[in-house]
Amino acid sequence: MTPTLLGRWQTRILLFLTVGLLLTLPFGLGWIGPGGTAFFAILFYLLGLGLGWDVLYIYLQKFRWDQDWPAAYQWLAALWEGLVIVLLFEAMAISLPGVDAEAFQLGWFLLHYMVVWVGIFLASQSLMRLLFLHWRFRGGQWL
Amino acid sequence: MATSSAPIRLSWQDPSTGEQRLPHLSPPIALGREFTHMPVDWQGQRVSRIVLNSGQVSRFHALLTWENDQLRLQDQNSSNGTQVNGGRQTDCLLNHGDVLEIGPYRITLLLRDDTDLGANRVRGDSVILIADPIPEVAPVTSAFPPPFFQSRQVNIQALYATQYPVEEVDYGALGAGLGSFVWVDLLRLCGVSPQQVRVIGLEAQPYARYQRLCLNSQIPAHERLRSNSDSCPDNIWGWPGYALREAWHDFTQGQLRSVGYRLWQVFAEPTFAETYTPKSGRVFASIDREATRIGWPQMYRFGRIRAIRQTDDGRYAIAYALGRGQYAFLVARYIHLATGYPAIQFLPDLQDYRERTQDFQVVVNAYEAHDHVYQALERQGGTVLIRGRGIVASRILQRLYEARQRNPNIAVLHLMRSPKPKGNQFQYARRAVSNHFELQPFNWPKACWGGTLRSQLEQAGPEERMRLLADWGGTTTADRGDWQRIVQAGLDEGWYQVGFGTVTRVEPDAQGCPLTFIQEMGLKGEIKLEANFIIDATGLDGKVKTNPLLDELVTHYNLPLNLAGRLAVTNDFELVEMRNHKGRMYAAGAITFGGPYAAVDSFLGLQYAALCAVNSLAQGRAPQLRSLHGWHSLAQWCKWARNQTP
Ligand SMILES: Cc1cc2nc3c(=O)[nH]c(=O)nc-3n(C[C@H](O)[C@H](O)[C@H](O)COP(=O)(O)OP(=O)(O)OC[C@H]3O[C@@H](n4cnc5c(N)ncnc54)[C@H](O)[C@@H]3O)c2cc1C
Repeated sequence: MTPTLLGRWQTRILLFLTVGLLLTLPFGLGWIGPGGTAFFAILFYLLGLGLGWDVLYIYLQKFRWDQDWPAAYQWLAALWEGLVIVLLFEAMAISLPGVDAEAFQLGWFLLHYMVVWVGIFLASQSLMRLLFLHWRFRGGQWL
Repeated sequence: MATSSAPIRLSWQDPSTGEQRLPHLSPPIALGREFTHMPVDWQGQRVSRIVLNSGQVSRFHALLTWENDQLRLQDQNSSNGTQVNGGRQTDCLLNHGDVLEIGPYRITLLLRDDTDLGANRVRGDSVILIADPIPEVAPVTSAFPPPFFQSRQVNIQALYATQYPVEEVDYGALGAGLGSFVWVDLLRLCGVSPQQVRVIGLEAQPYARYQRLCLNSQIPAHERLRSNSDSCPDNIWGWPGYALREAWHDFTQGQLRSVGYRLWQVFAEPTFAETYTPKSGRVFASIDREATRIGWPQMYRFGRIRAIRQTDDGRYAIAYALGRGQYAFLVARYIHLATGYPAIQFLPDLQDYRERTQDFQVVVNAYEAHDHVYQALERQGGTVLIRGRGIVASRILQRLYEARQRNPNIAVLHLMRSPKPKGNQFQYARRAVSNHFELQPFNWPKACWGGTLRSQLEQAGPEERMRLLADWGGTTTADRGDWQRIVQAGLDEGWYQVGFGTVTRVEPDAQGCPLTFIQEMGLKGEIKLEANFIIDATGLDGKVKTNPLLDELVTHYNLPLNLAGRLAVTNDFELVEMRNHKGRMYAAGAITFGGPYAAVDSFLGLQYAALCAVNSLAQGRAPQLRSLHGWHSLAQWCKWARNQTP
């Protein structure tokens, strides 16, 4: 799928609020790790920041002749987006509503982030196409 | 020597359609993007204004004038400049054979008129119809279709009165090629029963013609196409793509290295790995499976379509010939027209050569059956001249490389119009180039299929569409490691040479071999190239006028054509002028090029057109049709996976 900005936004919102939320449940409810609402809050920060990153990615696509976004770039972007959260709460120790920097546990965050990301990636590579025929022809717009 | 008012000839290939242009013009000649921005007169002389529609061309880009019997070029302060024989020039004198580069346009100047070029023939002449297995024998002026087909609308009773068989259904697909197949496939997934669909064409297998063109252009079953993993004519979801399927197959064979490589390809392409493309044989096999699943043989009717008419009850009547004096009619409310490329484009000088010498063996087109060339070369060696530098030229070169393994006395001359030091530019990006081949994984930039470029083209007006197509188009080939190695090896070992210049004429020598006369770039003069064979690898022609059926339809209903000379369709791929009460007519494939979508002639493009058409039918509440969304779509996919009828 070769994304457009609207497509990126729609796909990100849908997948974070479905697959992302579902995969965060076991972390939030404490079935995996220490539990706590911070996992949900972090998911929303990832989503909110992500909508901003999407604007940057679309700009970068214009420098590629094919204006595409290879799967490998999705992973590089994921690394970057995770890193920013780590910088924010771990390195700079900034507390934001819902996330107390003191209580931020890097190991559990990384595990949570990885699970959510792989889940979203796989869903975007398969399930999205099966549910929404137009999705891949409209740059990721499913609405 | 030219005198100060002598006309000159400009020669170029249109970057969006691939068509050859050869206008005869009298300087002063203005070149630019907008007709109205170029001067009408210059020093009291009328200016010939030539529109070069590209974002890289300024509104008034350059002016050509006679000055003391010399042709002078003046760049009009253009943003991207004018290159002459590869060097940027603002004001200079020009010679016979010089090449001007303006944006994506490469224009050769022919000042002396000793050139033949087949230029006197009407351009549309220079094509050969694609050979179908059943040639049209009876002249179309015969008794069929009956005289009442002369009217604008026909009456159903009149059809029955002819005593020829008549079938009435809801949905009719015309062509029975890949475009018809993906449309019918989608109809079946959306709930339409096979009883309500008829497909008319000349071959039972939907890929028959495509396969023939592939084989002719040297892509046998084990060779790879130029197609994305998730461009699957047998699977509208594109999942699992061919890469995943191939990986799974290799896994079951225990070939784990290959599994890893295929998965890595689709993950990292095109930046970190060579783009994955499927083997043609696998694509055909997958289509066979899907054709059986949806009941294609039940819906298919053999026949050559002679005419399409509106009926007076809001439907369409299709008159078709079955051969041996047998005829039939199909009546349907919803029609899908996908007749593919009507013709093979042939370089005019080569077409002339064949007509003059009646020798169809030594000068061939890459899309015609021409295996005898390789067989002869393998037997006795010789020299081949290739014209054109697209993907087909790459394939031919690969085939010649293979022939050289059997007989090393084979040499290849690759003739190009001009060097290509850098590729097309669009916004911030430039297409890559290697050894004068422009590189691109597919025939359009990838975002044309579903990304930013798709929506940009859809929103653009007719003029702007042509401009965008010129900027994104042009002849390209895929960046394949094996091809790069072959070219490099050929250049190093000396059996492969690239030459630049414009062909002035092709003539037989005493031995009956074709001699090509070339005007080399700049002042180098004329040279002669001897070859045993010439292969024209320049392309296919999709203009409506070349197809008798479409030409008749367009004339009869006075249908508009778009700026590329193809059928004008809406963003839903509908031919609105053909609307007939509830009746609707759609089109797909090369015959719609120049409209809302660039990659119309590709598997994925055919699927896109089918989706748009079926969507618009669903909105109009066409019978039995339910749009394929959400769980309904997932359920249909499960049936596909289990190979159950939809
Ligand atoms: C060599 C080659 C390689 C290609 N490789 C790829 C690739 O790798 N990936 C990709 O996505 N695309 C590829 N394409 C482009 C495209 O997918 C194919 O050309 C495809 O076959 C187009 O489908 P179509 O239905 O438009 O035309 P076709 O498949 O050619 O079908 C049109 C049919 O209409 C029939 N017809 C025409 N007029 C009449 C009439 N009057 N009566 C009855 N029948 C009629 C013809 O006989 C033909 O069977 C390739 C094209 C070529 C030529």
